[in-house]
Amino acid sequence: MTNTLHRQGDVESLKGDFVVFAHTAKSRNREGSGPKIREFMRICLRHNPVNIGDAKQGNVHQDDIDINKLISQQGDGAAAAAVFADMESLQKVIEDLIRADLGICINVSGLLEEVRACCVKAGIQRHSVEHSLGFWGAKDRLPERHILEIHTMCGHGMVSFNLIRKMIEQVKLRRLSAKKASKILAKCCECGAFNPKRAEQLLERFSKGIT
Amino acid sequence: MEIDKEKCVGCGNCHAVCTMGVIYLDEDGKSVVNQEECVECRTCYRVLRNEGYRPWFVRAVRKILGVFRLGYLAEPDVCPTGALTPPPLQWPRSIRATFSDPSTVHEGTGVHGRGTDEIKSNEVTGRLREGDVGFVVELGRPGIGARFRDIQKVSMALAQAQVQFEPENPVTQLMTDTKTGRIREDVLDEKVLSAIIELKTRMENIGQVLRVLEEVQHQVDTVISVGIASKCAADGSVVHESLVRQAGYKLSPNGKTNLGLGRPLFQER
Repeated sequence: MTNTLHRQGDVESLKGDFVVFAHTAKSRNREGSGPKIREFMRICLRHNPVNIGDAKQGNVHQDDIDINKLISQQGDGAAAAAVFADMESLQKVIEDLIRADLGICINVSGLLEEVRACCVKAGIQRHSVEHSLGFWGAKDRLPERHILEIHTMCGHGMVSFNLIRKMIEQVKLRRLSAKKASKILAKCCECGAFNPKRAEQLLERFSKGIT
Repeated sequence: MEIDKEKCVGCGNCHAVCTMGVIYLDEDGKSVVNQEECVECRTCYRVLRNEGYRPWFVRAVRKILGVFRLGYLAEPDVCPTGALTPPPLQWPRSIRATFSDPSTVHEGTGVHGRGTDEIKSNEVTGRLREGDVGFVVELGRPGIGARFRDIQKVSMALAQAQVQFEPENPVTQLMTDTKTGRIREDVLDEKVLSAIIELKTRMENIGQVLRVLEEVQHQVDTVISVGIASKCAADGSVVHESLVRQAGYKLSPNGKTNLGLGRPLFQER
């Protein structure tokens, strides 16, 4: 899953977009990981994530999702993710996760130098790093850059280009607030990696023609 | 995905939600899915809440409103009558859902959807060791979709570049021969939201892999998202950065960081 690797946007906008996720490997640390993943989720929840969920059960912005019930039902190997909109929260989450010493794999997607600084401040060195080399191939089939900024926040590609256009239009016409529109977009992203707070800011901008 | 024409009232909400943009209004005023292009991601079914209205009621309201030149405007995240109907999928069509719907778990990898482990568990698996570099070459993303025939063009080109395809990856598991990158014949015409070719090679081979991608990208009718990864040096620096820049490519300021907190740690000899 490269789902959080190719988030688009300028550095200033990406400063409000960090995804922390837990992962486990078959025959290494997946078996018996359920309670550790649940603890990971509880730690994330303490620091006010703007989104949280897992790929199997959905995220908090979807209809009828009770986060406590979602956490209690997470089993071994659940793909858990939480999104934070500022560095301070990210720093605290990383420190708490190091203290908790859960033994599951923890990854952060976001500005690499900022994440590295958080690691150093927390007293660890990062283990592995992955960069995006951008989009290749038939790029003429892609929509405008600003549509991609919102679309790539759901790496699984569940937020369609057309829905983003529709939401920008609805905000423009004041049929929906940017907050409500961003929540609708967040519903599409199954795993909870979508950042509705950043989407709200972008929708506000785009609806005024600032792209 | 299928749409129950008895229930559909043609509100059009599913058209915008469709990740591939392949739902449209038929001549009878009801929505229909272009089955050839649908990737079975089930986003429409999951996102649009079934309001549970009777179709005759919604149609009657629309007719009455029409008399007064008023439009029927459903909330954008509902299907008023619950017309979306996910059908049972038979092989090879079922592979569309496996690669496109993140709520499904791939049997071979144990990971949700088209996903793979990449560096996400590198500290415990040793998937990428010192001197190794990993590439993730995702076809169809963002938002275009890809057929396995195009995916095969890329995997066969990459196979020429002294790479090792990751065994625990959904695309590798569809290959009939990992030396040639050839994919099984019966899935080649299937379309998925995206699929990730994952491979590793040695650091000194970065330029060659990028050259292959540079050439093959013009032979496919879809987009490709490319990622590159490696294990950090002891001081946290990233070895592949300078090599990629030397080869003339730009790296993103953002990306993925494995914090190294998993246990037991993989020990390199």
